[in-house]
Amino acid sequence: MEITNIDKVFLIAKRDLDRFWQSKQWLAGQIAMNLADIFIFALIFRGIVRRDLIPDYLKFMTPGAVALATFVAAFSIGREVGMEIRRNTVEYLLTLPVSRQNLVLGRVLGGMLRGLIYQLVFLVLASIIDSPPTLVQLPVLVATSVLLTMSMSSLAIAVSSISRDFNIQATFRALTYYLLFFFSNVFYTKQVLALRFPHPLPEIISITPISIAADIYRWCFNYYQQLDPQNLVLLAIWSLALTLLASATYLRNLTKR
Amino acid sequence: MRKAVEIINLVKKFGNFVAVDNLSLDIYEGEIFGLLGPNGSGKTTTLLTIATVYKPTSGDVRVFGYSVVRDGDMVRKLVGMAFQEPKALGIDKPYDLLMWHARMVGYSAGDAKKVVREVMDSLGLWEHRDKYFYQLSGGTRKKVEIAKVLIQRPRVAIFDEPTAQVDVISKHVLWDAIKELRKEGSTIIISTNDMFEAERVCERIAIIYRGRLRAVGTVQELKDSMPYGDVIELSVAGKDIDVSKVLEILNSFGRVSVNGSTFMVYVNRGEEKAIEIVDALRRRGITISRIMVKEPTLDDVFFYITGAKLKEE
Repeated sequence: MEITNIDKVFLIAKRDLDRFWQSKQWLAGQIAMNLADIFIFALIFRGIVRRDLIPDYLKFMTPGAVALATFVAAFSIGREVGMEIRRNTVEYLLTLPVSRQNLVLGRVLGGMLRGLIYQLVFLVLASIIDSPPTLVQLPVLVATSVLLTMSMSSLAIAVSSISRDFNIQATFRALTYYLLFFFSNVFYTKQVLALRFPHPLPEIISITPISIAADIYRWCFNYYQQLDPQNLVLLAIWSLALTLLASATYLRNLTKR
Repeated sequence: MRKAVEIINLVKKFGNFVAVDNLSLDIYEGEIFGLLGPNGSGKTTTLLTIATVYKPTSGDVRVFGYSVVRDGDMVRKLVGMAFQEPKALGIDKPYDLLMWHARMVGYSAGDAKKVVREVMDSLGLWEHRDKYFYQLSGGTRKKVEIAKVLIQRPRVAIFDEPTAQVDVISKHVLWDAIKELRKEGSTIIISTNDMFEAERVCERIAIIYRGRLRAVGTVQELKDSMPYGDVIELSVAGKDIDVSKVLEILNSFGRVSVNGSTFMVYVNRGEEKAIEIVDALRRRGITISRIMVKEPTLDDVFFYITGAKLKEE
């Protein structure tokens, strides 16, 4: 049977997914960290934070941890991409009978699948700690996860391909990671952020991709009663813009030699 | 003969450094073609341009008529490349790597299993199939790299220094596998700085030095292009040898040097000249007790053409 271009895109994605499961130590550390966020950090802070601002910190934090875990898993594709560029193994991929566009698509898809599969266990946890999504919430949850993983995977790939120097790669990856991680509402509500940060920082933080995804997840797991439809539109715009920009950057970096 | 690869005024620069300097070359369908040159001469850059990894700074490369600049997707369907440094991460396993490669180059899952097993067996890789790449020796890694192209069976198969880091027995296994691939219809391009490999495997050779083409031809043509490259070494029988008489005859064939009773004559086409020398000496009543013809090595040819030694740089 003839192998189609779509098959090749999935084969590229599968290769990245297989490598994800091979990084067992990294995975174990990551799962431990995400679980610690929920079962240590959130449980301890439940008794400390002001209840008028966050009534149940564990329930508030858990959907945020889902967004965080999803982001981290999708973002991890950047490590392999960076390593391939440093060690020149990317040259091998460039000789394969596949178009450059499909190669980029396969890599982005690989990162997406990492995030989507990795988040499953945290979705179950969120369903137990908060409450499971209804049939109406489920498609929104899936769409949010796809958009979030797509944008984060693309971003990681683009950032990792800007240089062949490990130090530059690692610095930029860490910078992007921590900017997205800290400037998010995963740990704090907008009201809390408004108390600590000057205007317009809280507003900016509330419209970053991870913050938006965390808020949508909070609605999907019934922590918030209302979904702001603008959030979905905003996340779609973020994802589309980031994916296009990042894919173009990766493509340019691959073919500039 | 049909051109498989046409390199047209290829220039490749990295910043101010000119890696390939106005290279033009034709490689014909079904031949085993060698790029011979020391490290840093532009061989790998040329190969990576043929394989569409690098874009030419100017000029073009055409593979069966398809331009690497305009028709990259088509070129990649025709070309397969085994790299000088095996391209894999330490956590990769040979079997998984080759299975994935086989699927990417178009095999169905069932066919991929069959061809991967076949090629791994032929190269003695099967026992290493589930080891991590970082656990493999340099030679075994190299075989895995070459296995990719043997599995792919591309129209144009490129091998960048295929037997560097490989032991002598494995070298012969790889050379046989490459020749077998040609029998199946692939055009082979090998880059090497090993003159023995070039002589044993390649039918035509291009000598590249500092990014420029210095000579191209069959091994014999290259050797013959070296003026007086063959040496006929002979000894004359008898106690009272008339050296001046022998020299008079030998001087008509080429430059001569004498070492005791041994004469060295520097000529072209040594085998033909040796017969003529034997006849000429016999006619004058001189008997030869020993005669041998020594051809120049490709290293000598390379030195003659470039003024540099192959393994120097």
